[in-house]
Amino acid sequence: MRNPYEVLGVAASASAAEIQSAYRKLAKKLHPDLNPGNKTAEDQFKEVASAYDLLSDAEKRKRFDDGEIDASGAERPHQQYYRDFASADHGNHYADMSGYADFMEGEDPFADLLRRSQHARANRRGQDMHYRLPIEFLESIAGANKRITLPDGSNLDVKIPAGLVDGQTLRLKGKGAPGTGKGGSGDALIEVEVLPDRRFTRDGDDISLEVPISLAEAVLGGKIPVLTPTGSVTMSVPKGSNTGTTLRLKGKGAPRRGGGHGDQFVRLKVVLPKPPDPELEAFVANWAKGKDFNPREERAS
Amino acid sequence: MRMSKHQLAKSAGIRSETLDVWITQEWLVPDPTSGAAQFTDIDAARVRLILELKNDLGANDEGIAVILHLMDQLHGMRRALARMKEEMQRPPD
Repeated sequence: MRNPYEVLGVAASASAAEIQSAYRKLAKKLHPDLNPGNKTAEDQFKEVASAYDLLSDAEKRKRFDDGEIDASGAERPHQQYYRDFASADHGNHYADMSGYADFMEGEDPFADLLRRSQHARANRRGQDMHYRLPIEFLESIAGANKRITLPDGSNLDVKIPAGLVDGQTLRLKGKGAPGTGKGGSGDALIEVEVLPDRRFTRDGDDISLEVPISLAEAVLGGKIPVLTPTGSVTMSVPKGSNTGTTLRLKGKGAPRRGGGHGDQFVRLKVVLPKPPDPELEAFVANWAKGKDFNPREERAS
Repeated sequence: MRMSKHQLAKSAGIRSETLDVWITQEWLVPDPTSGAAQFTDIDAARVRLILELKNDLGANDEGIAVILHLMDQLHGMRRALARMKEEMQRPPD
């Protein structure tokens, strides 16, 4: 137990007015109701209040000065502060939420959390509704406008952003179940399933596609039509292309985070005519150089 | 514990006319649904706090109005934070 004069920071000869003013200065800083949630302030305040109890009472002060009682003689009985009631679990009718109303507006996760946690029972926000929406691969790359028909017969328009990935969830604010009282509607959460496409595969922002070409196109080169998410384009196949030759269509992939687009890679696959062509067979049989070329030899070296 | 205005005034050692003034100024808000026993422990604690602000901390009436208003906002905010913490710890449904 510290000396009460020390606790208040006054001299032993301090006047009653000086003691009161010292106490006020400390109490304004340390009063538990001005520091809800601060345990240190509470402990310090107790000490200050005890010291003041002792020194503000002329008789007790005299007895302390004469050594008749010690500082602990003035210890305060446990007191329940206003904050102990104000912080009660069920809340209190004085508490005022205007101080953070502005934080609850907006679309950010913090505002959302604040709104959700604010659940005054009577004004409960509506439930979030969950839906699944399958879309085509190309729609996931280029974006699309889709419409969901809800069980109650109403429609929900969903804008699929370009570049969406399988399993991504879209949140439509206020499109969920209605709330009660002043509680707003919940959100519609739409989990989007990207249907696999036999032709396309995706790797990050890039997509790739295998395109068959004829022997003539492979050997001589040519222009072929190629499907992209934004429609068909004409692509030049260079002379002497092979199965596995990969060409790039710049900017035809999914949108990149931070601007721009990924690319579309086109893997060529040489396909011989069907059924086998006797003329081609005759030509290859008589083609001496073709027999000299052994592609496996190259690999062995 | 529920109590009437007179009981509240007596327990705080003040006159019930003083409480009338505080109620007019909305420092205290009685619960109109419960007959004569309009006050509870939280009101008693609030009365003690007002007395401390007045007598020990030297706040005047204007200052007390400001302090109570800010304190009510602070408690509203603490409550929102506590609820938010709860919500964050709750497993998503």
